[in-house]
Amino acid sequence: MLRVDEIVTVAVDKNGQPIGFSWRNESFLVSAPPIRWFARREWWNEAARVQRGIGAGVLEVEMWRLLASGVTKAKSQFELVHNTSDGIWRLVRVFE
Amino acid sequence: MSEFIHLHVASAFSGHYGVTRPEIMVEAAASRGESALAITDRDGLYGAVKHIGACLKMGISPIAGVDLEAVDDAGLSLGRVVVLAHGHDGGLGWSALCAIVSTAHQKTRKQQNPAIKRSELARLAVRDGVALVTVLVGNNSDVGEAALAGDRTLTAERLKNWRKAFISTRALVVEITSHLTEPGSPFCNLQANRLLQLADSMGIPTVLTNAVRYLEPDDALTADVLDAARHLEPLGMFTPQPNAQAWLKPASKMRALAIEITQDQARAKSLIETTMTLADRARLNPQNDCGWGKPKTPEKSTLGIDGNPFEVLWQKANSAIEWRYPRASDNQLASIRHRLSQELITINRLGFATYFLTVADVTQMIRDMKIRIAARGSGAGSLTNYLLGISGVDPIEHELLFERFLSTERSSLPDIDIDVESARRHDIYREIFKRYGSNRVTLLSMQSTYRGRGAMRDSGLALGLDEDQIDDIAKNMWRFSARTFRNALGTKPELAALAQSVESDRQMNLLVDITERLDRLPRHISMHPCGVILGDATLLNLTPVETSGMGLPMSQFDKDDMDPMGFLKLDVLGVRMQSAMAYAVRELERVKGEKLELDEIPRDDAETFKQIRTTNTLGIFQIESPGQRELTGKHQPTEFNDLTIQISLFRPGPMKGNMIAPYLDGRHGFATPEYLHPDLEPILRETYGVVIFHEHVLRIFNVMTGCGLAKADEFRRNLENPRLAPQVATFFKQKAREKGYTQETIDKVWATLEGFGSFGFCKAHGAAFAMPTYQSAWLKTHYPTEFMAGLFTHDPGMYPRRLLLAEARRLGVRLLPLDVNQSTDEYLVQPAPRVTTDPNEPAFGIRMALTEIQGVSEAEIKRVIEHQPYTDVADFYLRAKPSRRTLERLATIGALDQLANVDSHTRGDIVMRVRELNSVVKRPTLDPNQPMLDFTVTERMPTGNAEISTEDRVAAELAILKMDISGHILDKYRPMLDAMGVTRSDELVHLRSKTEVLVAGVRVATQTPPMRSGKRVVFITLDDGHGCSDSTFFDEAQQRCASTLFNTKLLLISAKTRRTGVRGVSLMAENAWDLKALWENWQSQQRRNAVA
Repeated sequence: MLRVDEIVTVAVDKNGQPIGFSWRNESFLVSAPPIRWFARREWWNEAARVQRGIGAGVLEVEMWRLLASGVTKAKSQFELVHNTSDGIWRLVRVFE
Repeated sequence: MSEFIHLHVASAFSGHYGVTRPEIMVEAAASRGESALAITDRDGLYGAVKHIGACLKMGISPIAGVDLEAVDDAGLSLGRVVVLAHGHDGGLGWSALCAIVSTAHQKTRKQQNPAIKRSELARLAVRDGVALVTVLVGNNSDVGEAALAGDRTLTAERLKNWRKAFISTRALVVEITSHLTEPGSPFCNLQANRLLQLADSMGIPTVLTNAVRYLEPDDALTADVLDAARHLEPLGMFTPQPNAQAWLKPASKMRALAIEITQDQARAKSLIETTMTLADRARLNPQNDCGWGKPKTPEKSTLGIDGNPFEVLWQKANSAIEWRYPRASDNQLASIRHRLSQELITINRLGFATYFLTVADVTQMIRDMKIRIAARGSGAGSLTNYLLGISGVDPIEHELLFERFLSTERSSLPDIDIDVESARRHDIYREIFKRYGSNRVTLLSMQSTYRGRGAMRDSGLALGLDEDQIDDIAKNMWRFSARTFRNALGTKPELAALAQSVESDRQMNLLVDITERLDRLPRHISMHPCGVILGDATLLNLTPVETSGMGLPMSQFDKDDMDPMGFLKLDVLGVRMQSAMAYAVRELERVKGEKLELDEIPRDDAETFKQIRTTNTLGIFQIESPGQRELTGKHQPTEFNDLTIQISLFRPGPMKGNMIAPYLDGRHGFATPEYLHPDLEPILRETYGVVIFHEHVLRIFNVMTGCGLAKADEFRRNLENPRLAPQVATFFKQKAREKGYTQETIDKVWATLEGFGSFGFCKAHGAAFAMPTYQSAWLKTHYPTEFMAGLFTHDPGMYPRRLLLAEARRLGVRLLPLDVNQSTDEYLVQPAPRVTTDPNEPAFGIRMALTEIQGVSEAEIKRVIEHQPYTDVADFYLRAKPSRRTLERLATIGALDQLANVDSHTRGDIVMRVRELNSVVKRPTLDPNQPMLDFTVTERMPTGNAEISTEDRVAAELAILKMDISGHILDKYRPMLDAMGVTRSDELVHLRSKTEVLVAGVRVATQTPPMRSGKRVVFITLDDGHGCSDSTFFDEAQQRCASTLFNTKLLLISAKTRRTGVRGVSLMAENAWDLKALWENWQSQQRRNAVA
């Protein structure tokens, strides 16, 4: 397993499900229904403020597990973090 | 079909778990068009009544249930399940739910969580083959646990056990919930899907819930903090909630969730359909299912009545007229009878006859127990209450109105509050249970909520701050809502240090944010300090009960739930002053053989009022606070009604309404009273034209519009409501015009009434309070020794006991030192030996009690009393068996002096002897068959040890008793204070206004009352042994001494005097210093001077 932390560009369908992304100049296509869940963050170690109304983004993140293959790379499992407040996707794990 | 109804929702009344108040949850559900909403608090129906009330208000159906732990017959946990009451079944579902909750609480030992046996649950769930509740078995149950583990066989076996328990009914469903957690962890789609598959294969219905803990995702942060408070561990030290998904999701999200779980459109649809079917079954009809709003009183038979209760009431009240009014003229009697008839007609129309008989029955029971009792509140305005002996205040003499208490315009059950001796309160509760049967009585509960310091403390613990740090912050949190903590940081000088650390310290920043989040959330349930619910034999079908701290059953509903549920609540409030006065009366009889009927003393005793006017009111009920003492100086009361007025004036309403100054001006002739119209003069004469009492407003309305007093009270209430006030104005102006008042008069009177708003006070409250005020003042004047003994024993006031001691010394009451042969667990009045030749020297004094010795145990005190008297120190050591620590402490403060010959032995000798005894490793026991060890047989008192100085005695007393008995704390500093020219507190009254003074003393009270301007003012009261001085710190002064303001005990204050009345003087503080620090400086300077 490879731990990374890189911003990636992700293409999604109308339900917000990823269908493909590009990473390190390579395009990946999602080849099976992705799995989504919500994980939590330890805001007490990270956040600067948690005032009322700040939103759940301080506490939870959307996680996606994708089976995808690239042009050169064979089918692998990827885990992405999607920050719903700023829309940024980060690739965090690659299982080869 | 687009609706989704939530069936599993914890409200904020799930202590340290739920986040959102039921009303807010209901409003959100209703506003998105949901036709019903459930509340399923953990372990109880704590929020259910508020939920039902909110549902009624918003026009949706309430559903109620509980989230409860189940156990098998061996007591092993089966996890948590949800139990929902079925509705529209004449209350069977609701009462089964109540029984299930009560049962779950009954069987638990202390510190064990409430839980119900599955077999018991199954038994209570059904009646005559019909299911009264539905049990939801889901992720949190033993079945859900096995499903998560992926053990299909075990999961099936466990679910079969549930089905077997409920075999004859349709009371069981499987609850499907996903919080979209990581696959393989609790509340993931996989777990939900496995449960669904299994339930389908076994033919058990399934419902979808979201196991809701909060309204919105943002609230999940608050839930994290509550979790920490529940675990009593900082965040990060326990497994937190997995994410922020446990919110009240809208129907669209729940439908999407159903599809995500089932992976099947059709199955998702049917899952939601079964959910809706169960919801329909559980919709409650509050009136028919929960007895909503229907008054419930004990059955006639339990009150010993047969026949029509109203006739019984009529007779009882009428026959008491002669007892209460033995000297009334025929005319007076006629008007008394007339008023009584009117009251009784109203009572009958409202159907409250049984209620009044019940309260009368309880008060009679209390009186038969020989316990002091007094009514409080608006109930004192009722002649019926006076005649039934419920109240002791004559409403005719004091011009109180029944309509303020009860009228046909309102139909809620009236509140009658009874004050009793605090020390006997539990006895009374037990007696009420005995008299009416435990199926008709429960205690009332109380939900305490997070406020400033509490919210900050739990927030600090959640963040893992250390306790000292938390204590430091807590010390400086004074009078502001924690909801506005961040705002307070910028404005309060004592928070300046914290404000600075917030800027640089991320944790402090978070602390402020989460403290604001916790503020005002329910914190925990406890026994209400005075509420008892009296009902009929069906009471326990309508409310769940749990065991209170004192062991008696307690309803899970709080005082706000009483009226909606139609429960008769009786407030039996323990008042320490009543105990103190009863104690004084008892001591008087015990020691001097004098019998005193405190309720029958004349109410116009000149000596008593003279004593009050000195402003030395410490220990007197209601008027001992610094503010009341100052007001006493200005007001100078001369009769009973003055006390009623003074007590009423010093309330938030009249203070905010600025009523005090105009009243005092009128009273002292500085201004001519303005009565607005001659018709109003009889009404307002007592207060020099100032509208203070609710009763005034009622009478003005009545006189100027002829609307009647009952209607007038309705108008008074509507005045406070900005929406309704304009209608009141229209009515008033029109009717007053019709009655011929000029436009000018009408406008002037209306301006007064409008300005009155919510500022007034109910005179009946004031008059009811004035009674114990007068009685305690009378006792203090005529029997100071007995009265102060009562105060010491029952400690009723706002001040530390050592201040009362100083007051006793000031009054010339003799304080007899602790003596193991004389002292008990009470402050007894005892004959005192002559020490002077003064013929006026009191022959009795107050013997200090054993209870204040630091670290002394109740068992030790009991042993000391049991074996009295003692012949010598060794005898005491052997028979009373005090701990080493207690023995040495007793010797140090002189409690053993009488066991040694004090002429030839010093306190030092006694302490030495005690240390000898304490050094024996194995304590010898008294055994008649065993020869005594040498040192125990004969007392061998050492000699030649130094005597202890008075200063050291006082220091020892303060350390061990927290009281200075032999002298005053300040005596020691006297040389410095004299050198500095510090003014004694009893000299202040002779100074001119604006004199610059220094005062010193021990802090006895710190107050930050609400001010009209909204600015904070701090009042500090110091005691210097000659009385009290009261200093006021405004903004600038607060800035100057922020560090000493709240934390320093011994203070020196520089101030300017301000005369406020004949005997009124207050101090405008300029600065304050720590007296101890000054003393150290002064001493070292003295030493330097001596050397030089």
